Amino acid sequence: MSPRPRPAVAIWRARSTTTTGDRLYLGYLLVAVAGVVVAPLARALWQGLTGAEGIAALTTSTAPASAGLIVAAVWAAALLLGRERGPALLPPFLLHALATSDLPYRVVFRGPLLRCGALVVAICTGAAGLTGASLAHRGFASAEQAVVFTIVGALVGVVATAAWLAGQTHPRVALPVAIGVVALASGGLSSPALQASTPWGWVGLAYPLGTAPPPPGALAGLVALALVAVAVVPALLSRLRPAETAVQAARWQAATSSALGTEFGAAATVYRKAPHVGRRVRAVRPGHGLGVAFFVRDAIGAARTPGRLVVGLIALGVGGLLLGYAVVSPGPGWLLGAAAGLIVFAATGPLTDGIRHAAAVAADVPLYGIGDGRLLVSHSMLPLAVVVLVLVSAAVVVSLSAANGAPILSAMALGVTTLLLRVGQALKGPLPPVLLTPISSPMGDPMAAVRVLWALDGLLFAAVIGAAATVGLDAPLALLAAAGLVAGVVAQRWRHRA
Amino acid sequence: MIDADGVAVATGGSTLLPPVSVVVGPGEALVVRGGNGAGKTTLLRVLAGSRRPTSGVVRIDGDAVDPRDRGFRRRVASMIGLPPMAPDLTVADHVLLVAATWVDESTAGSLAGSVLAELGLSALGRRFPHELSSGQTQLFGLALVLARPFDVLIVDEPEQRLDPEHLEVVGRALRARRDGGATLVVATHSRPLAEAIGDRFLQLDPAA
Repeated sequence: MSPRPRPAVAIWRARSTTTTGDRLYLGYLLVAVAGVVVAPLARALWQGLTGAEGIAALTTSTAPASAGLIVAAVWAAALLLGRERGPALLPPFLLHALATSDLPYRVVFRGPLLRCGALVVAICTGAAGLTGASLAHRGFASAEQAVVFTIVGALVGVVATAAWLAGQTHPRVALPVAIGVVALASGGLSSPALQASTPWGWVGLAYPLGTAPPPPGALAGLVALALVAVAVVPALLSRLRPAETAVQAARWQAATSSALGTEFGAAATVYRKAPHVGRRVRAVRPGHGLGVAFFVRDAIGAARTPGRLVVGLIALGVGGLLLGYAVVSPGPGWLLGAAAGLIVFAATGPLTDGIRHAAAVAADVPLYGIGDGRLLVSHSMLPLAVVVLVLVSAAVVVSLSAANGAPILSAMALGVTTLLLRVGQALKGPLPPVLLTPISSPMGDPMAAVRVLWALDGLLFAAVIGAAATVGLDAPLALLAAAGLVAGVVAQRWRHRA
Repeated sequence: MIDADGVAVATGGSTLLPPVSVVVGPGEALVVRGGNGAGKTTLLRVLAGSRRPTSGVVRIDGDAVDPRDRGFRRRVASMIGLPPMAPDLTVADHVLLVAATWVDESTAGSLAGSVLAELGLSALGRRFPHELSSGQTQLFGLALVLARPFDVLIVDEPEQRLDPEHLEVVGRALRARRDGGATLVVATHSRPLAEAIGDRFLQLDPAA
């Protein structure tokens, strides 16, 4: 760090009331989490990658191209992430104090940028290293190839960090560039010429499979790209706009504060897009009955954040396909089903603004001329229609290819139950004070874990519903039990709405 | 219309609202005054049915207070804090939707339009809630509550966030409801607003 920002940073850090005991406890927690959670997960990941199924996936003929496509997707995601939360960010007060001084931005933001960059490079290097090591361990690649691919991973991380920063400094350009990168990478999958002349194609060429060493041109291209990425960082930092950076900093602080308080819903709300388009289109058209009016109003309301809606619909389709494949796959597909449940739950967010509004109204003094129940049902019609339509369509695609109709019923069950879960989440309310009561036990205070479970209940239920929908026809009681559990939670929250 | 008899609220050993008895008839406006913590908002919550009194009884038009009862919902409109606002609806959309649930759909448009005009919000009809200033948001909240028929109107500190000019607009709108035969109960710290609408005053003092 340059000496000049040090006094401001020292004052900022002096606010902290963390004692040595707190630091020791944090260290204990980190070690415990590493031993209890991270190590088993890493072991399971290694066993999965080096197992028969993992190796089969890593050694398919399309694996190198897929690796390139993943890298293109990572760079595109980094660009998009920068629009919302860039790597050059400080806490709001520190940002104001330093960014309004005469210090150059490359000095002000060097620390956070280096920290974010180190994290991204570590993740990319780790992923590439794990892939290379798995292939070398099973004899599909040499140790040299694995090492080279690990270095490629680090280079990918450097470029991703620069893309992340570019998304922050050029938010308007970032979206079309990200779409272009993904489109070009997807379109170039079948074109060897494009593979050899694109950065993600170079990653594919360096994939450690077979005996041929990676082409020097590909490696040189990636090194050059990473050098350019590092070289443009000062110029990118100088393009940072104080006002937009301050907005990002404030949102990030609000989101992290909510998340640390286990208010994950509130944290997500911070990043929910506010509408800016479609104001000239009348969303409310009375005259055809209130049911139609609410359906149209919800449809136009959702379309007023078009990007969010499109992403939601695409995710819904992906979730439906995943569920379908989980149902027809010969092995136990509950894990894939749980992933489908999570994706479908997240995808229904843009469609359920009306449900959340109805829940807020139900907890307040009467606003509409219809009862709370009818209001909630009215706002549920559009999401129900869209979710069932998209999920069943995806299931039909899988059913036709697998000559198995089971995914259609599973899709309908998942769609309806997920919407019920959304209603439950909308009615959830704040953390019940009773959960803040500490309880001593030989294992410590279990209420901390209970509070985390309470905060994450939506995701947990979504995963359980997805897994149950996968085995629905073989074990209908599991699906009925999951749906009944969610319905019970909804009924309980409905009765106790304020 | 409103008959509160010995209504009080206490919780955890603290008195939020000392016993209050008051009767307000049709076409009357009761202005509730008192310092912070005197129990003004608590009294309004009790009258609106969002808080149960620990003692005493409230009857509105002879019936018990029950916000889930259809008749009560139709008779009583209230604004205690800002009402929930749909983030994906414009100001005009939202007021029209509320009106369409209360009156015949063919007349909802004219009702919504007249309320927006009365509160000076017509020019802001195409804005989304997050694009309004704090004062405009206050007026929007009031528009949502006024875009419906009612016999009783309960409003808590409508002067919040408003400049004197818009406070006068709100005063005129509330007075028009009173003159139209509605029963008003308004808690306020604003002397000009109180003088503009009130013909009876209830002074609450913090409980000892």
